Amino acid sequence: MSAVGAGAPRRRPFFLPFLLISLIAAGLFLAALGDVLHYSVRLFIPGSIEVGGFTLANFARLLRPIYRTVLLATLIISFLTAIFTLLLGYPVAYALVRVRRGWVRSLLIVLAITPLFTGEIVRTYAWILVLGTNGFINSILKALGIIGAPLSMLYTSFGVILALVQFSMPVMIMLLATAISHVDRSCERAAANLGASPLMVFWRVTLPLTTPGVVSGTVVIFAWTMSAFSTPQLIGGGKVLMLSNLVYLEGLTNLDFPLAAALSLLALVVAIGSLGLMRPAITRLERKATLY
Amino acid sequence: MTKRTLLAVVAALLLALAAKPVLAKEPLIVDMWGGNWRDGANQAIASEFTRRTGIPVKFITGGTIDRLTKAKLDKGHPESDVTITTSHVGYLYSSAGLFEKLDMSKIPNAGQLFPPAIRSPYEIALYSYVYTPAFRTDLMPKGYSITSWHDLWSPALKDKIGLSGFDPSHMFIVAARLAGGDAENWKVGIPLLEALKPNVKAFYQSDATSQDLIRTGETPVQVLLSINAYHLISEGVPITIAVPKEGAVVNFDAIGIERGTRHLAAAYEFINVALDAKVQAKLCDIYRCGPMNMHATLDPKLASMPGVFTTPEQWQTEAIVVSDETRARLLPVWKDWFTEHMMH
Repeated sequence: MSAVGAGAPRRRPFFLPFLLISLIAAGLFLAALGDVLHYSVRLFIPGSIEVGGFTLANFARLLRPIYRTVLLATLIISFLTAIFTLLLGYPVAYALVRVRRGWVRSLLIVLAITPLFTGEIVRTYAWILVLGTNGFINSILKALGIIGAPLSMLYTSFGVILALVQFSMPVMIMLLATAISHVDRSCERAAANLGASPLMVFWRVTLPLTTPGVVSGTVVIFAWTMSAFSTPQLIGGGKVLMLSNLVYLEGLTNLDFPLAAALSLLALVVAIGSLGLMRPAITRLERKATLY
Repeated sequence: MTKRTLLAVVAALLLALAAKPVLAKEPLIVDMWGGNWRDGANQAIASEFTRRTGIPVKFITGGTIDRLTKAKLDKGHPESDVTITTSHVGYLYSSAGLFEKLDMSKIPNAGQLFPPAIRSPYEIALYSYVYTPAFRTDLMPKGYSITSWHDLWSPALKDKIGLSGFDPSHMFIVAARLAGGDAENWKVGIPLLEALKPNVKAFYQSDATSQDLIRTGETPVQVLLSINAYHLISEGVPITIAVPKEGAVVNFDAIGIERGTRHLAAAYEFINVALDAKVQAKLCDIYRCGPMNMHATLDPKLASMPGVFTTPEQWQTEAIVVSDETRARLLPVWKDWFTEHMMH
C-alpha cells in the first residue's frame, strides 16, 4: 500500500499548467509554420496578390546563384559574428566575474548590459553615424591626417559584422559570465600551487571549465545572427544581403509570398542543419571539459 | 408639473431624438499611410468633407503591403470604406476584386482632371510626384547640374549614387527608354543598368533610409521621390532636384472604394471632395506634389518646382507615365533581376 491512503485526494502534477502553455505555444508555432509551408508550394502570379496552384518551382528557384551566394554570406557572417563576439566577450565576462572592486564591477555591468536597453534600431543607427563617410571614425582619421579620402565601412560585410558583434555582446557576456562564475577557484589555486603560470592556469584550467558557456554562447549567437534583419538592412544598404533581407525583399516589396515562404523554410532548415552539424564538435568539447 | 411644462419637456425630447441621427452619423473610414500622409489628408480632404456632409472621417493607417494584406483578408467585409495607396498597388487591389468599379457620374470633379488621373475604372489618382535625380548642392562641385538621365552614368559619380532597392521600376523604365525601348521591352536597357552599377553606393529600402542617405551625404546623388526631396529641402538640406530632358518617372497616389462598403454614397462624395480644385491646391501645398485637377491654383513658388506638373504641356513633355498594370505585372520580374544583378 502506498503512503498515500486510498481515500486521500490525488494531487494533480504541478507541471501540467506549464505543459499546457507549452503545447499551446507549440501549436501556434506549428500552425504558422504550416501556413508558411503551404505558401511555399503555391504558384506566384506577377501582378496579383492571389496565389496559383501547387508547385515546387519556388524550391527550384532557390538553386539560382543569388540564393546560394546569399545563403553562404549568411552562414559566413553568422559564423564570424559568433567567433568575434566570443573573442571580445570573454575578456569582459572574465573581468566582470573576477574583478574585486565593486564599483569596477558595477561599471562593467552597466557597460556590458546597457546596450540591451537601447534597441537594435537605435544601436544600428549609431553605427551609421560612426562608420559613415562623414562619420566619427573617418572624421578622426582625416583630422589626424592618417587618411586623405574616407574609408568605405558602411554598406560592407565588415560594417555589418562589426555592428552585429556589438549587438550580440551583452548576451554573450551574460552567458560567459555565468559559466566563469561557476568555475571552482580551488582548481585554479591548485594548478598555481603546482607551478603553473597565470596564463597556463587560464589555458589549462579556466578555459576548459568554461567550455559549456563558450559553446552555448557561440551557438546562440550563431543561431540568432542567422535571422538578423535590421542590422544588415541598415548597415548593409542593400549591398550586403542576408537571408532575412531576401525574405523581406521577396515577400514585402515584391509580393512574391511563395518564394519568401520557400526562403524562410530554407533559412530554418539551414539553421537547424548547421546546429546539427556542430553537434559532434560540441559534444567532443564538452566531454573534453568534463575530463578536465 | 404644469401641462405647458410637460409639453416643453416632450418637445425637447423629440428634438433631441430628431437630432440624434445627425450627431451619431457613422464615420467614413479611410485607409491610408500614417504620419504626415494622414495629417495632410485630414487637413485638406477630411475636414472639408465633414464640413460639407456632417459625416466624420476616421483614419486607419499602416504600411502599403500590410494594408493590402489586411484588405485581402477582409474581402467582402472591409474595415474601411475608402483606400488611398500608390496607384500600381491600387491595381493589385482591383485585380483581387477589392475595389468597386467607379461610377464617374457620381464624381463630378472627375471631369476636371488631367487625363493620366483616371488610372483605371477602379481608381483615380489624387496627386502626382516624380522619381527623378537630385543631388546635394554642397557636396558636388560648384556649378554641377544634371540635365539628362545619361549624366548618372558619368564616371565622376562613381560610388556616389543611391537608388531604391524596394521599387526600382523607374530605373528600368528610364534605362529602356534611353536604349530606345519602353517598359514592356525593358531588356534592351539591361546593358545600361549593368553599366550603372559602379556608380551605385547604396540601395535604400524605405523613404526614411532614402532621406537618411542623402541627408548624411552618404549618397550625394540620388534618384528619389520629389516629395521626399522637398521635405528635406524644407528642413534646410541643400538639395537640387532635376527633371532631365527625357522627363521624370511619375508616380501617383490613388483612391478607390472598398468593395462591400456600407457607405457607398459617402465614399463617392469623399472622392469628389478630394478632387475639388481648392482641396487639391491645399493638399499639394501640404505634400509638395502635383495636383490632378487642372483647375487647381497652386502657389506660384510650388507650381514652379521641378516635378510639379500643372499644365497639359508639362504632362506631355516632362512626365514619363507607365500604366499601373504594366508596373504591377513587371515589378516582381524587375525586382528579381535587380536583386540578382545590381544589389549583389
